[in-house]
Amino acid sequence: MNVLSAVLASLIFFGSLILIFSERINRSIVAIAGGALMVGLGKIFHFYSEEDALAAMDFNTLGLLLGMMILVAMLEPTGFFEYLAVLAARASKGKQVRLFTLLGIITTVLSMFLDNVTTVVLVAPVTLLICEIIGVSAIPYLVAEALLSNTGGVSTLIGDPPNVLIGSAAGLSFNDFLIYSLPIVFFCWLGAFALLRYVFKKELSKRPRRVKAVMKLNPAQTLNQPEAARRILIVLGAAILMFFVHHVLRVSPSLVALSAAALALVWVQPDIHETLKKIEWSVLLFFAALFVMVGGLEHAGVLEVVVGLFRGASGVSPVFFGVMIIWIVAALSAVVDNIPITVALIPVIRGLGESGMDIGPLWWALAFGAGFGGNGTIIGSTANIIVANLSDKTRTPITAKLWLRRGLPVMLITCAISSILFALFYPLF
Amino acid sequence: MNISDCMKRNVVSISVKATVREAAAIFVRKHVGVLPVVDKSDKPVGVVGLRDLLSLELPVFVNFIADVDYVHDFGAVEDTHPSAKTLNQSVKAVMKDAVVVDEDCGLLRAYALMLQHNLHDITVVDKNGKLSGIASRVDVGISILNAWAKIK
Repeated sequence: MNVLSAVLASLIFFGSLILIFSERINRSIVAIAGGALMVGLGKIFHFYSEEDALAAMDFNTLGLLLGMMILVAMLEPTGFFEYLAVLAARASKGKQVRLFTLLGIITTVLSMFLDNVTTVVLVAPVTLLICEIIGVSAIPYLVAEALLSNTGGVSTLIGDPPNVLIGSAAGLSFNDFLIYSLPIVFFCWLGAFALLRYVFKKELSKRPRRVKAVMKLNPAQTLNQPEAARRILIVLGAAILMFFVHHVLRVSPSLVALSAAALALVWVQPDIHETLKKIEWSVLLFFAALFVMVGGLEHAGVLEVVVGLFRGASGVSPVFFGVMIIWIVAALSAVVDNIPITVALIPVIRGLGESGMDIGPLWWALAFGAGFGGNGTIIGSTANIIVANLSDKTRTPITAKLWLRRGLPVMLITCAISSILFALFYPLF
Repeated sequence: MNISDCMKRNVVSISVKATVREAAAIFVRKHVGVLPVVDKSDKPVGVVGLRDLLSLELPVFVNFIADVDYVHDFGAVEDTHPSAKTLNQSVKAVMKDAVVVDEDCGLLRAYALMLQHNLHDITVVDKNGKLSGIASRVDVGISILNAWAKIK
């Protein structure tokens, strides 16, 4: 290993991380600049080339994210999300606990298959509407939607960007997530839900002032494009079925997602410019640039050093090591973006595997830590930031302090439940 | 023809020191849709519209949901009013920046500015920058159309 290359690559990577976490400059701008610098200096000092950088990009992750983003971008204007929320409101008959449960379940199930951020962006405004017309505080609902969508997202391969990354790097299939992650997340979800009911019991026990208003919401009028919604949901359903068998057919999840997106585009033929505008290109570029940077670190030999450090710690029992990963990654994810943490830890875990360690269980520990950690603080995940921004416009905004009182316990209980189940069922992983 | 030929000269304005509550009372008493906000030397520093006050009572969801067709009953929102604290705050908290034109401003320029800034009324100032009149879209528009009668 060339020391100069390692130092340069580390400076670029950790300098970029610090800038990203300081949130002074947009994370995608930092990552693109860092990626370009890594390749440029890599060429000059002969530790990294353009070909290496291309090979370092995980196109399976990028393709899966892009495909799902296109499907959601098409589904969004159809009014389907409002439709579901309005149905929930009517089914609740304005009873708070029932409404809380129904909206919580809808958000969870949607975020298992769609991006958490999109789910919250689309469900939260209707939630605010329902709460305002029946005359109750929207805070319990908004906080619960963000926390439960973060929690639900951990259960599937496509529910959460860190899972997409981990699944792609570790070669885990959609079904692997259903077998190993979903059952654990189910119990974590129950714990989180029960805890949310408890911490918000004062707000939820208040009688709504105007219960009847929800019965006058007309679900049919929320569906602006019923035919388009029907077609996209059929394609989405077919894609989910394909995810169940993608490993048997030897098809990558990204091909499934991109094919579904292509099929939906052909069948619905939306205004392509409007659809593409809704794609979060900045997120995709952020991923691509992070891959390039981490590739540079790997080629400069920095990750070998980090792997060596971890190997020193692996003298402890493997179960304890896994639980430690859950909590360390969760603590980090609570205060900073969990995507760069995941991207940086993947090659480290892979390196530990190459050194002879059984890393199968560690992938799950990483997924649980990255997923549940985001619940801890108001800035822990994008979904949290979205509901907080929405509530800023109301008379009772969600404050960082309120989130610590209500959200941090949820992070702790989900991490605790997942740690216990992880330790109990360790031999099965 | 320019804006001074069609503007209203008898303008109801409000002092920058007034509260939201006082502004609301003037709207009610004078039955107007917009109030220029002036400093003590009568120079416009802002403008407060009926819309700005009404938005204090509108539910928050209206800002996030463009299509409210499916909401047939606004329920609890219908009888929710702004708090006393909101009403006692300075009118500066709700006013918008004043878009002003000079008395010799042409009608089309005035109309284009109103379109650009989404205004229903435009404030007119004299040479010294003091409030001298106000013209609505109707005032400006009618004056423009009036000239069409002479086209042979």
